[in-house]
Amino acid sequence: MTTETQKQLKYIDTNGFGAAQGGRGYHFPVDIAVRKDGLIYVLSRSGQGSLNGTGISVTDIDHHWHGEFSGYGTADGQMQWGTAIAIDSSDRLFLADEKMQRITIFDLDNNYVSHWGTAGSGPGEFDGPSGLSIDADGNLLVVDHKNHRVQRYTADGEYIDSFGSEGSASGQFNYPWGITTAPDGTIYVADWRNDRIQRFTSDGVFIDAHGDSGEGDGQFSRPSSVAVDHDGFIYVADWQNQRVQVFDKEWNFQTIVRGEAGLSPWAAEYIDANKDEKIAREVFNPYPKLDVDELYEVSARTEPYFWVPVSVTTYGDDRLLVLETARHRFQIFETV
Amino acid sequence: MATATNIGTELDLIAHLLRRTGFGATPGELEEAGALGYEGTLDRLFNPGDADALPVDLIRRYHADHNDLRIPPSSGSFWMYRLVTTKTPFEEKIALFWHRVFATGQTKVIQGKVMISQIDMFRKYGLGSFRDLLIQLSKDPAMILWLDNQDNHKDNINENYGREILELFAMGVGNYTEDDVKECARAFTGWTIANMPYMSTKMRNNTLRPYGYIAWQFEYDESDHDDGEKTFLGETGNFTGEDVIDIICKNPATPLFVARHLYHHFVADELPVPQWPFEGPKDPEAIQLMVDAYFANDYSIGAMLRAMFESDIFKSESKRFARIKSPAEVVVGTLRLAGDFDWPTDDVYKATAACNYMGQQLLGPTSVEGWMGGDDWISTGSMVQRINFASDTIGNPDKRGIKAIIGRIADRHPSGNVDPEALVEDCLDLVGRLRVEDGTQEGLVEFVREQGDVDPATEDGAGKITSLLQLIVSTREYQLA
Repeated sequence: MTTETQKQLKYIDTNGFGAAQGGRGYHFPVDIAVRKDGLIYVLSRSGQGSLNGTGISVTDIDHHWHGEFSGYGTADGQMQWGTAIAIDSSDRLFLADEKMQRITIFDLDNNYVSHWGTAGSGPGEFDGPSGLSIDADGNLLVVDHKNHRVQRYTADGEYIDSFGSEGSASGQFNYPWGITTAPDGTIYVADWRNDRIQRFTSDGVFIDAHGDSGEGDGQFSRPSSVAVDHDGFIYVADWQNQRVQVFDKEWNFQTIVRGEAGLSPWAAEYIDANKDEKIAREVFNPYPKLDVDELYEVSARTEPYFWVPVSVTTYGDDRLLVLETARHRFQIFETV
Repeated sequence: MATATNIGTELDLIAHLLRRTGFGATPGELEEAGALGYEGTLDRLFNPGDADALPVDLIRRYHADHNDLRIPPSSGSFWMYRLVTTKTPFEEKIALFWHRVFATGQTKVIQGKVMISQIDMFRKYGLGSFRDLLIQLSKDPAMILWLDNQDNHKDNINENYGREILELFAMGVGNYTEDDVKECARAFTGWTIANMPYMSTKMRNNTLRPYGYIAWQFEYDESDHDDGEKTFLGETGNFTGEDVIDIICKNPATPLFVARHLYHHFVADELPVPQWPFEGPKDPEAIQLMVDAYFANDYSIGAMLRAMFESDIFKSESKRFARIKSPAEVVVGTLRLAGDFDWPTDDVYKATAACNYMGQQLLGPTSVEGWMGGDDWISTGSMVQRINFASDTIGNPDKRGIKAIIGRIADRHPSGNVDPEALVEDCLDLVGRLRVEDGTQEGLVEFVREQGDVDPATEDGAGKITSLLQLIVSTREYQLA
């Protein structure tokens, strides 16, 4: 029996540019968040050999560049292994760092406010804070991934409670990663190494789980992020399958997108300024006939496809942003 | 005359085999191999199971730069994880062997992703038919751009790849003519990569802009292939690249050349390759043994090696500790002994850099001739790097591998204090049945005496054993495999 699907997505735009030394663009970005005024924040984790690319960049849906802040280091406001960002209703931005085991707060002007966090497995301690989300009450949910749990804090960093433990039973986690709070308050967690998404009430009570390991519709390979729109449609960054899957609120499969990026204005500007690349690109076939079917390899060889789609977030009522670590960009889709 | 079976124990022989086919053995690995016996260990080496290395998904989650593998610290350290954590180190030894012979460098091709794909190919084809391997090599995108075959056109040949497959990869100088080089190049016209103009421009410009690198893929451009008649190594026909490889593989010079490389890597240090046209092999009998296996087994590299490992030549006393370890062997062997890299860590970059400082940048050989090996590995600077790295790596009693060694010593001596001679014997045994000269051993014993009583069950004893292990990996003998 086939289920009639209600949600289809159409690619509309690409924002991004590889910026290993910082500046306009991103470098191995790992998370994306949208502020209520429409500003888009992108967290670049960067990598060994070019740590100048580490930081948080600010852009908007029309490709304006609003600068960057933070950077690599251990000082206040800096990061080492940044994993996630979230923005609360007061426009304060929270940054998780899994190496320094801390959460850093920035104000609405991107100034450092404070940080907290110590290593450990007790209440209020971290072993790898990764995904972040603001819950329905304005508290901060932190995926404490190597402790296989979600912790809840006040917006000022006071520990409240936690849920989850290591395992594969309902409500248990295996190195969870992304987290989101749906408009109705339901909490969604990307249970990364269990290849499933789990749902919890706003109090952290298990509701259900969806997905198993594989490449088929409704199956996942290391899902890293989840987003939910106002109609309850669920978007999952199926990280190792190099795609985004869409479901309705009853987990009925809707569609898959795997990316079809074109040149962003920043990328086009670069190509225009480099005549040799421009000439070579005129005969460039973005979809060459491939002799492999392994998904990572397919994406590595096909520029328009997602390559390591790590984070998804909604934008307004009908758009979806999909951030790609290995291509230093995000693609924008809208509901058909 | 001594035979293999009366030199030391079978465990000594297995340790010798594991030094050559891997990176030495931890006590646990040696125990396991000992239970299989020498032949059983050989069977397992040639029929390996899952590598069961540190999972790639974990590596890529923590090292964002390991997602595209573009720059040398990323690609080199990605391979380093596999080298240190694999359960099938023979595959890596084979990959390192072909990486040296078919030296391709990220310094030119820039893109580490395709270098890692080349290493994958060596794992897959490295012990199979030499013909299959040469075909894969000729189609390998990294090799194509490394030796400019994308510029080898039917109306304007570039002979770089045609020359090197004969000179450096399969036959050696003196076994072909300049005309053979040109005819060989003609046969490989049209062997290129998809989107070649853009990809080669990106390689030259060496930038991740706008969206990082796009991995390369082999493409055969029939319209650019010279299908005219060619005369190559005495045969005439409308040869393709595959035909040329067939002719190369059946030429008697080919297995002689390959066998000498195998001997150098797996048996004992040979003369540097540039001297081979003028000086015969050190051990002609060993070379002939492998040549015979090559022709008897459809050009199988695995058959050549198995014949060698089963021979008394390989097992003989003169071949034990007869090679200077490569930097990769020192770094990887020491990290495996210490039990490092159970989880992604920035230390992987330091280990990869250490290998570089010792003279072997993974995926970055110094030239198209690869690394010479042997005495070339050793200089005053590289020796200091080797000793410092090994000593630092071993010097932590809390590491899994060091704890295991200390635990085994404690089990052997439940009553507590261990006398210095026994402790030195134990430690040499547990670092892979290392054999040292009498003077070295006496020095180690003296060191232990100076430390006072050693009870391995105590923290103090563990510290003293760790210090002894640091001294052992600093010896001249530890640099030999």
